[in-house]
Amino acid sequence: MNFLPRFRLILPVMLAALLGAQAAPAAPRDDLLAPVCTGAFGDQMAALQSIARYGVEGGGDAAAWALRVVEAFDGRALRCGADAAFIETGDALLSAATLEPVSAAEAGELSSPSVNLRLRAVSASAAGLLTLMTAPDPAAREAALKVVSKRREAVTADLLERIAAAEADPGLKQAVSELHASMLLNDPDPQNRIQAIRAIGQTASQRNLSLLTQAMSAEKDPQVAAEAQSVIAGIERTLAAGKLMSVLYSGMSYASILFLAALGLAVIFGLMGVINLAQGELIMIGAYSTWLVQEGLRAAAPGLLDYYLILAIPVSFAASAAVGIAMEALIIRRLYTRPLMTLLATWAISLLLINTVRVVFGSQNLEFHQPGYVSGGVQVLGDFIMTMNRLFAIGIAVVAFVAVLWLLRRTMFGLNIRAVTQNREMAGAAGIDTRRIDWMTFGLGSGLAGLAGLALSPLYNVNPNMGANFIVDSFMVVVLGGVGSLLGAVLAALGIGQINVVIEPVYGAVAAKVLVLLLIIGFIQWRPEGLFAPKGRR
Amino acid sequence: MKRRDFLTAASGAAIAASASTLPVPGLIRRAHAAGSGDTVKIGCLFSSSGTMANIEGRLNYVTKMAADEINAAGGVLGKMIEPVITDPGSDWPLYAQLGKQLIQQEEVAASFGCWTSVSRKSVLPVVEQNDALLYYPLHFEGEENSKNVVYLNSPPSSSVLPAVEYLMSEEGGAAKRFFMLGSDYVWPRTINQQLKGYFKSKGIEESAWREEYVPLGFSNFQTLINQIRDFADQPGGQPIVILTVVGNSIPDFFREFINQGISAFDVPVLGLDAVEADLEGLDTAPLVGHLNCWAYLQNAPGAQNQKFLADWAKYVGDNDVPFSADTVIDPMVSTYDGVHLWAMAAEKAGSFDVPEVRAAFDGLSFDCPSGYNITMTGENNYVKRGVFIGSVNEAQGFDVLWQSDDTPTPVPFSPYMQG
Repeated sequence: MNFLPRFRLILPVMLAALLGAQAAPAAPRDDLLAPVCTGAFGDQMAALQSIARYGVEGGGDAAAWALRVVEAFDGRALRCGADAAFIETGDALLSAATLEPVSAAEAGELSSPSVNLRLRAVSASAAGLLTLMTAPDPAAREAALKVVSKRREAVTADLLERIAAAEADPGLKQAVSELHASMLLNDPDPQNRIQAIRAIGQTASQRNLSLLTQAMSAEKDPQVAAEAQSVIAGIERTLAAGKLMSVLYSGMSYASILFLAALGLAVIFGLMGVINLAQGELIMIGAYSTWLVQEGLRAAAPGLLDYYLILAIPVSFAASAAVGIAMEALIIRRLYTRPLMTLLATWAISLLLINTVRVVFGSQNLEFHQPGYVSGGVQVLGDFIMTMNRLFAIGIAVVAFVAVLWLLRRTMFGLNIRAVTQNREMAGAAGIDTRRIDWMTFGLGSGLAGLAGLALSPLYNVNPNMGANFIVDSFMVVVLGGVGSLLGAVLAALGIGQINVVIEPVYGAVAAKVLVLLLIIGFIQWRPEGLFAPKGRR
Repeated sequence: MKRRDFLTAASGAAIAASASTLPVPGLIRRAHAAGSGDTVKIGCLFSSSGTMANIEGRLNYVTKMAADEINAAGGVLGKMIEPVITDPGSDWPLYAQLGKQLIQQEEVAASFGCWTSVSRKSVLPVVEQNDALLYYPLHFEGEENSKNVVYLNSPPSSSVLPAVEYLMSEEGGAAKRFFMLGSDYVWPRTINQQLKGYFKSKGIEESAWREEYVPLGFSNFQTLINQIRDFADQPGGQPIVILTVVGNSIPDFFREFINQGISAFDVPVLGLDAVEADLEGLDTAPLVGHLNCWAYLQNAPGAQNQKFLADWAKYVGDNDVPFSADTVIDPMVSTYDGVHLWAMAAEKAGSFDVPEVRAAFDGLSFDCPSGYNITMTGENNYVKRGVFIGSVNEAQGFDVLWQSDDTPTPVPFSPYMQG
């Protein structure tokens, strides 16, 4: 942290503020506010920092006032008059110095101070610091501490020391003290520097590694340098482990997307031999029905809105299955003997579905509510963040795989499907209604595509054209895995996903795509039946 | 069905799926020549299907709206404007084919079209061979100066460079390191080439930037965001991302960016192709502070803009347009400007013939909804536009963070291309 030069910047303003404090009680607040309105960018920044300092040092009423002002600045509610600042609240205008209501006529002509990214970072940091100091609720203070440890634009070691001293909650007091310790990396006292190094070493991240390496290059004290060495080595180990996990997770996540997109096709193309080019659109229909469930809940039961992704599971499955069964009954069953005709017919259906959806819903991306379980991420180890929306997709992929495997291996329906796949005439002769099995299998495959649409909606843009993104990938997975083999599809998805993720950072995303395609072509040349070839007559 | 049939069919399936739509030559009906009778035709080359549909599709309607406006005021040279809409289906070669049909069969007086530079480059030979006019409404990479294209929007010298310069200033965040991430085609590559030349001219070390490309339509940004985080945490000063991915990759990028917990304070993203429409469907609260730069922003001050926004909302309502009534993006305004500039030129020339219309460009000026008075000179076919830098707000829009005092003169060929 490079706060020393910044501190130098604050000093004159701070002195001015302190001198002002001896005059009238309201005057220093005016003086603090003035540069926010009239100053150049550097003065504005210094002014926000000194408002935070004024609040933390003054405590109580001063802190509440300072918080109000920085929040108003951050929320773009601060207005500047000729010689005073005001805060705009919905319908009223307050004097920023006294927080008393002011009439609009009294305030005169108002303008807004410029609020750019860096000033907002300073005001966010200041607001965090002041909340940490004033919030009565420990949970709010804890949240503020998180903000402060990330945003240090208005944070200085002495302010943190003050806050730590005033903190009542023992756990929080400890945490604030640790943050304080970590800010003493450039302290003249070697003991403090060692404390700082240890405190920083608590969180292994690339940022902290850079910080320590930088500080150590200038370190003279051998004891401090040795401590730093060992902490740096520890961080590096954790980072390496985190990186490995991150690669594995990315590969898994990509594999789960590929697998979900391919699962329905693995059933339809793999088991029935129908080349269904409308598979991507069945995914899209699943995503749109998810959206409809969300909108329905928003209107009927807003309390359940957060669970719409769970509640939509049967709906999206049923919607896509219904469309699939209709397709099968009306068109595809007449074309079972002519695969190329099926290809064209299903392509026509896909265009029809895309354009129907476009006419009904428009072509913009749909907005999905992102409940907690599919937004943000969890920092697991080092710099590895496990993103929740991808975890959700992985979860659905695993559940869907197990369910389909169970259905095919352990139920009568599955047995019938396998029988029809292996020898249609024989199965018919054994009394299986092959027509019924055909449409039910098609419905299952379509429903699975719908489920994929649901699982992918927190990850991808949902619009009428979204299906086209998946169709090539899903054929790739099914053909590579071995037509008709579910396990093959899983392994193919995992392989493609993992290889992609490993190649991408080295040769770039474009080359990764090309290399993966070349690998697949090579593999198919060598083993045209894919990873697993089911035994049976076709 | 035999194994080999499966494979051929499967590869056929892949090919069929990658080609988005078949050309539809019969769709456009043959009609009388430009300027004969009591109407004059103008052509639209904007996709209503494929990846670009969501953003390009709006431009068809805005062309119609501008034509209606001019028609209501008496038309051009006493004739009513009749826009001819085509659908190139986001398929770059199809833009050239349909462009040719518009010129040769429809005999349009001028065409308005293209979003990506690939599509413009594919139409370019067609308009040059036929000595026709194409009005191109996007800010782009420059390095082109055809007498048959009217560049309605800014080359990098008056859009990207001022924005990057702002980000490098103390006030703009003192950016020191740059992660350039783009879709893999001519626009991002040329822009990044110029940026690198620009950085070199500022004495910035080569280690301070990274350049990555993704295929068009790419959506899995996990690994790249990991790389960006890694890049950002290295020492050396404030990092920023200069994002030149296009289309639906933009929301995908931002979604992953948010989920990995990076805020605009840590690493601001300058999204050069990011428009208000890309934020539809995203919760923008965690994106607040990210930046873009255009010659128009929806929040541009001025009565001219208020009027345009109201007109568009009314047009959407009256004509059942399948796009949002309260989202207006720069290329829409540029297209609107283009139709007006063309009508003014034709009126001034007293003719719809391309050479005469072109000769009338010198000295045209129009009050753009952006609030700037935009002008053309006889020197080239570039239009002088203002510059805005926007920052994402909570309401799925961009606030104006900075805007230029006047309209800088566009420089078609960048001095930074070398190196």
